[in-house]
Amino acid sequence: MTDTATAGDVSAWNKPHPNIDLDIEPFWDGLREHQFLLWTCHVCDARYFPKSFCVNHDNEPFAQNMSWQPSSGRGTIFAMNRHHLAFHPGFKDDVPYVYALVELEEGPMISSTIVGEQPEELTVLGRGVQVVFEDHPAEGFTLPRFELVTE
Amino acid sequence: MSERQRIAVVGLGTVHEAPTGSSQRMLAAEAARRAIADAGLQVSDIDGAIDLRRTGGGGDRASYTDAFTRFLGVPAQFYFTIGRGGALAGLATAAATGFLDRGLAKYVLCVGAVDDHTKAQRAKAKGMRGNAHVEKEGYWGKALGDVRAASHHSWMAARHMAEFGTTSEDLGAISVAQRAWACMNPDARMYGKPITVADHQASPWVVEPYHLLDISLISDGAVAFILTTEDRARDLAKPPVTVMGQGFGEVAADLWWEKQNYTRMAVANAKETAFAQAGLNGVEDLDFAQLYDCFTAEVLFQLEDYGWCKKGEGGPFVSAGSIGPGGSIPVNTGGGLLSNWHLGDLTGFAEAVTQLRGEAGERQIEGAQVALATGHGGELVSPGMCSIHTSTILGVS
Repeated sequence: MTDTATAGDVSAWNKPHPNIDLDIEPFWDGLREHQFLLWTCHVCDARYFPKSFCVNHDNEPFAQNMSWQPSSGRGTIFAMNRHHLAFHPGFKDDVPYVYALVELEEGPMISSTIVGEQPEELTVLGRGVQVVFEDHPAEGFTLPRFELVTE
Repeated sequence: MSERQRIAVVGLGTVHEAPTGSSQRMLAAEAARRAIADAGLQVSDIDGAIDLRRTGGGGDRASYTDAFTRFLGVPAQFYFTIGRGGALAGLATAAATGFLDRGLAKYVLCVGAVDDHTKAQRAKAKGMRGNAHVEKEGYWGKALGDVRAASHHSWMAARHMAEFGTTSEDLGAISVAQRAWACMNPDARMYGKPITVADHQASPWVVEPYHLLDISLISDGAVAFILTTEDRARDLAKPPVTVMGQGFGEVAADLWWEKQNYTRMAVANAKETAFAQAGLNGVEDLDFAQLYDCFTAEVLFQLEDYGWCKKGEGGPFVSAGSIGPGGSIPVNTGGGLLSNWHLGDLTGFAEAVTQLRGEAGERQIEGAQVALATGHGGELVSPGMCSIHTSTILGVS
């Protein structure tokens, strides 16, 4: 995995804060350590995001037959758009940005922006992407972004 | 099972204009007052009340306290809130049917009010667009850039374009058709402002592939309607509009990554149930439709999902002029959320009642007897999509 830690995160966070609730806290802990975790069933190895019970069979109470496990962080672009308008002043310097729905190799989907080289055509789907980690140490969280994989 | 009475809409009250400084509570109470008068009832006749709030959606906006019933002195023996995103009228009708069916109420007053426009204007002064920017538990993406509904709903339009070759001009045809309807509706926000596909194309990108003219309005206003049983309905001021059938569908029945849900709404079960109850064979039995239109692509999807055209063929269907005035299936005949007012599915529900009563003026569909009014809403965790879909068949004999 590529790490693109932003050195010296001096600017104060001026965007909405992620809501890190009890279910998803371990996932965010993983991001801080540059690991991309998926909720994984020990019985059948099915992967989930977000956390849930495994739909393939009966579960132990509170889905204790599952845990957060490292994954590839690789996937393909399933759908994307390009934000031209900042709905929140924190994104004023970011527009235009591409916000993509990524189908992970393990099955689940997750969304974030595409950083680095930008896709041109919004309808050319299926391009490979890889998670990159954007550290915000002053805020205590790391955000997952995606970059295009060059073949 | 004993023969049950059908339920009918007997009163309708709408508020699109209000003195500045009107709260959601006052908007709701005023719409309620108008609906009671419209039905020829007295405030004292109302014994049940349902408050329609868009909770459970992307933003739980209508979080005020108090009840519109108290504002009016309505002696309702029950009052509760209901709603999931834009799905309001459909859910209220289903809930009220239960109370009327069991004799728990004689007249149920259902009211929804929004002051999104006022709130948005205030937010704009702080550099915000729209209302809610606090990410709630279980949500995903606001910190990353998925800030508003258009941030993820536009994926569905983009996905349909990629899979089926639908174009932005096709979506523009929906916007143009609904604006043409709005131009025959003096109450519509966009009355007197016709547009062309070229105007749609020239309107700024908001979230590409959505132009400004693909996106619904932000409004203040309220809609109230009264439901009762058919025997009581016969003696009132207006001809009753019968609830012929209702059905529901739910995206959350599938896993998060069910791919088909990016190019369809949860119509299948909703349609099957509602059409069967109403004794309809198919969409050819409908005289017009009010399809929930938070964005243009949702209209396109429903036209395919209900069967006016095949999946993937919605683009050419709308571009041929099928849903506008003079088209084969009039859709969102008051202008819809795109060009009339955005009061959730209450906009379409109220328009359906108005048409079926023959009160739609210049835009009246001649001889209209059977209509479909849909709603959906309740944004799921990203990958975000609407959750519930409601189908309500309304009719007059």
